[in-house]
Amino acid sequence: MTTIRRFCCNDLLRFTSVNLDHLTETFNMSFYMTYLARWPDYFHVAEAPGNRIMGYIMGKVEGQGECWHGHVTAVTVAPEYRRQQLAKKLMNLLEDISDKIDKAYFVDLFVRASNTPAIKMYEKLGYVIYRRVLRYYSGEEDGLDMRKALSRDVEKKSIIPLKRPITPDELEYD
Amino acid sequence: MASKFGLAGGIPERRVRPIWDAIDSRQFKNALKQSTTLLSKFPNSPYALALKALILERMGKPDEALTVCLSAKDLLYKNDSVLMDDLTLSTLQIVFQRLDHLDLATSCYEYACGKFPNNLELMMGLFNCYVREYSFVKQQQTAIKMYKLVGEERFLLWAICSIQLQVFCGNGGEKLLLLAEGLIKKHVASHSLHEPEALIVYISVLEQQAKYGDALEILSGKLGSLLMIEVDKLRIQGRLLARAGDYAAAASIFQKILELCPDDWECFLHYLGCLLEDDSNWSNGVLNDPIHPPKFIDCKLSHLADEVFDSCMSNAVAFIQKLQADTSNNILRGPYLAKLEVERRKHLYGKGDDDKIMEALMQYFFRFGHLACFTSDVEVFLEVLTHDKKTEFLEKLMKNSESNSAVPTKELGKSITLLKVQELIGKMYRLPKNELEGSAVQMVEMYCKNLPLSKDLDPQESMHGEELLSMVCNILVQLFWRTGDLGYFVEATMVLEFGLSIRRFVWQYKIFLLHLYSHMGALSLAYEWYKSLDVKNILMESVSHHILPQMLVSPLWVDLNNLLKDYLKFMDDHFRESADLTFLAYRHRNYSKVIEFVQFKERLQHSNQYLVARVEAPILQLKKNADNVEEAECVLDSLKCGIHFLELSNEIGSKSLTFNEDLQSRPWWTPTSEKNYLLGPFEGISYCPRENLTKEREANLRRVIERKSLLPRMVYLSIQSASTLLKENIEVNGSVSDPKISSELKFLLERYAKLLGLSLSDAIEVVVGVSSGLKPSSAIAPDLIDWLNFAVFLNAWNLSSHELAQPDGEGHRPGTWDIVDSLLEKYISEVVRSINPIICAPWIDLPILVQLVTEPLAWHSLVLQSCVRSSLPSGKKKKKGGLDLSNSPLTHVIRESIQSLYGTVEDVMKWLREQIKRPEDENLETILSFVQKTGQNEGPGQVFKILETYVSSVNDAELGERISEAVKSWSPADVARKIITGKCTVLSEFLKICESKFKSLKTLKQQISQV
Repeated sequence: MTTIRRFCCNDLLRFTSVNLDHLTETFNMSFYMTYLARWPDYFHVAEAPGNRIMGYIMGKVEGQGECWHGHVTAVTVAPEYRRQQLAKKLMNLLEDISDKIDKAYFVDLFVRASNTPAIKMYEKLGYVIYRRVLRYYSGEEDGLDMRKALSRDVEKKSIIPLKRPITPDELEYD
Repeated sequence: MASKFGLAGGIPERRVRPIWDAIDSRQFKNALKQSTTLLSKFPNSPYALALKALILERMGKPDEALTVCLSAKDLLYKNDSVLMDDLTLSTLQIVFQRLDHLDLATSCYEYACGKFPNNLELMMGLFNCYVREYSFVKQQQTAIKMYKLVGEERFLLWAICSIQLQVFCGNGGEKLLLLAEGLIKKHVASHSLHEPEALIVYISVLEQQAKYGDALEILSGKLGSLLMIEVDKLRIQGRLLARAGDYAAAASIFQKILELCPDDWECFLHYLGCLLEDDSNWSNGVLNDPIHPPKFIDCKLSHLADEVFDSCMSNAVAFIQKLQADTSNNILRGPYLAKLEVERRKHLYGKGDDDKIMEALMQYFFRFGHLACFTSDVEVFLEVLTHDKKTEFLEKLMKNSESNSAVPTKELGKSITLLKVQELIGKMYRLPKNELEGSAVQMVEMYCKNLPLSKDLDPQESMHGEELLSMVCNILVQLFWRTGDLGYFVEATMVLEFGLSIRRFVWQYKIFLLHLYSHMGALSLAYEWYKSLDVKNILMESVSHHILPQMLVSPLWVDLNNLLKDYLKFMDDHFRESADLTFLAYRHRNYSKVIEFVQFKERLQHSNQYLVARVEAPILQLKKNADNVEEAECVLDSLKCGIHFLELSNEIGSKSLTFNEDLQSRPWWTPTSEKNYLLGPFEGISYCPRENLTKEREANLRRVIERKSLLPRMVYLSIQSASTLLKENIEVNGSVSDPKISSELKFLLERYAKLLGLSLSDAIEVVVGVSSGLKPSSAIAPDLIDWLNFAVFLNAWNLSSHELAQPDGEGHRPGTWDIVDSLLEKYISEVVRSINPIICAPWIDLPILVQLVTEPLAWHSLVLQSCVRSSLPSGKKKKKGGLDLSNSPLTHVIRESIQSLYGTVEDVMKWLREQIKRPEDENLETILSFVQKTGQNEGPGQVFKILETYVSSVNDAELGERISEAVKSWSPADVARKIITGKCTVLSEFLKICESKFKSLKTLKQQISQV
């Protein structure tokens, strides 16, 4: 059983069991709070009975013209609550908001090229590899830019894969 | 006025751009050069000056930056024709803020707004200044002015938020909300509302005044369409109806939400609460701690008549059955947990049926028994059963779990769940010793047997069965606790180290290990594991409790210093930037976040851990510099002689403290940093104590902070009090000692005594009694360090006041010197003798020894240094003939006291050297002998034996190369060596501290002998 609600500052003090996991980055305060101040609809947390934090998703909406899109900055689930499709639920929520409220064309996310389990999961959720970003992670590892088209992109133009990889300085957004 | 196109602060943009570029690329020298050139062209431009100030500040020249800023400000004020644009002001604002002069920035904006009253941009800047200063009233006034000027919705809401802030975070009365309501109403009448967040604020203003009907009306009216997600609207509607007491309507709304989101637990609880007309969820009085929400949901049932209750429950059951039937998704836990909650409520009402609860639990187990969260999901429901029923349930589970699942990972999941349930209901801890050992063996076998399941997992993914080793560790610690047999303790560390050599990312193992190593006294090793957790940013607030308290009483000063520095920097940085982020929320019209951010900042500012760190950081500096009185005085100077901390100490009683630590991750044997159950007796403690300990902690921490923050001042006054001692003796007539010092010290001693629970005279009696052996040592044992500090400060006070009677009657020895010397000698030697020499034994007393040496002994040595310094010939003044100090009684006692400390420190050093120089092989053998007990089939070592056998017979093909290599890499000898090194590092660091003290005392000895 899960309650999904907007993330709030106090959750920053409660998400330790999720964030102690070494694959979950703990960002600085202004990062979290900027997301909360600008895109509160894109930052959600899932709670279990007994009020334990199960996981959360943070993201934003940005871009211009046909590049107006939702972006998943982080999605994470505590080990105790894995294998229950919680990540899927959180992703669907963000896609829904991008689609229905902000009328975006697509949702995208970045993932380490080596993170096969995550890539597989995103593919299952309908994401395709749009392009490869060379040495995106600390100048060492390549990142994959994955996208999923939303209803506004009727012809699914936004997800036609690029033929060549790009470098981080070619990226449109941070 | 406002910057025109192509102009920046009145200067052509092309001239300014390169300077900004240089600043952005951190080429400050270059930027400064260019800015000087710019200033030569525009000597009267405040903007050019502001730029220069900004560069100077970035270069680390705050004083120069401030001077330049101030001249820019003067120019702005002086010259009416000068441009007054937001760019100039905001640049100045940035510098003033970084120089901690927010007030100056505000006054610049205030001046500018006074001069150009209709400039919106400047007014926004001014509003921002008030946000930074948390001046809610002025924020409100400025926002209203802007609103009147342009009539925009957002400025009205800025004003409304500022009003709400006055009510919730300031001292504004609730009637202000009426004003807010009036303002919005008027605006809605003429302009309506256009942002969903604006509607939310409107509703909240009404809700805060308990005007639920009005709020509902607005929500269901035209404005309601601003909320685009249907369930969001329904949630608000349900909440308002419930708060208005219209439970039937609320329940049907929540029912609607559940039909849309059948897995929404909170909504289900609301639904059930409304059916049962239970207002405990809704009353304003219930202020739950948002960081540690209660595990058990409170509910009120007694007011319902029997038949009403029954019909409510059958309605709920019918609805749940419908939900269960409707959800095709078989991984939704919601509808099944809902059934359990209904049974729980019946139980609480007195109509419970244990069999039904058990039945529902079994159903839940069949569906979700393999999930790692099963036990935490059902914890609250198990709680209503009696012990016997719990056992019955467990037996049922065991019987029914035998059916083999086709999926081995699920099978393993279920087996683990069974073990976790045994742990949860306390069965594990009631088992006799050999059965408990048997369980641990069974678990570790299960872990090893199932390792092949993780063969193809990514190395970073959690492996199947990882929890088993944590459970094994819990059992072994339990066995150690019961029997006192060190073997179990060593074995527990070996098991966890084994787990970490297979996958080095398991934070649960790391946390357990760090606590085991801390208890063992191998703190440097504990700290290594702590560092590997990569605790940063906000996690420092919620996770550092695992290590900080031990570090504070350790000799690892370099690490402690880093820990404190990083933590304080994080917190202070946040306090500095938080207001800017609040303004960001205003700008992006996310008004609800405005209040949340301000409240969150306050929560962190009141953090008990933050306050402790703020006091401990300077105390650490004092400790570090205590061997040189001049350096200690420098530290005290930088602390304004401890005045600030006195203020903190005075305020702490009325301050609310917050507790942001995540205690869930702590092992059962130390549920909070103040409690270590391994020290105490086995009886009387529940097996898994997780009760909310905040109340108790709060009182305790208040006392700690209050007492600790007196220290810097008392040390300062003690040094002062001693500083004229021998001089005074020389100058027969003119007493140089300041009576104020003596009276303040007396006042603080009274407070210190009070914090120890006694009046000053009673406290004096206690130290006199204990030092002379008339009272038992145990009289001061629980607060030993504080009592010894008290004795030291008492002596220092007595030097200048002479209020105390001389106890020995002959007048040779001021008694307080004797008290201090004998107490230090006595307790230090007692502690040294009590420390178990075995290398892997817990060293509970070592931190006490470290504190004795680095606190009371160190403070006393400062007093001595100050005394001796006063006897040294200063400047041109020569020793006067006539008076021979060398034979004065005072010189005599000082000499004796130095000698006494010298001997005490020497003894400690001797003990430390003996420990350190023990041959490693011997230590190694000792540690391993605890677990390698060949031929025995009980006692410690059973689990270890399985691991050793497993490692030696690893099947590479079955496990895969990666895991089998990892398994083979585990070396018990390496673990033992790490423990030895860990302990020796702590001892060596302590030895260094002692050596420095020893040297300082030696110098003192020489100096006093020349007096």
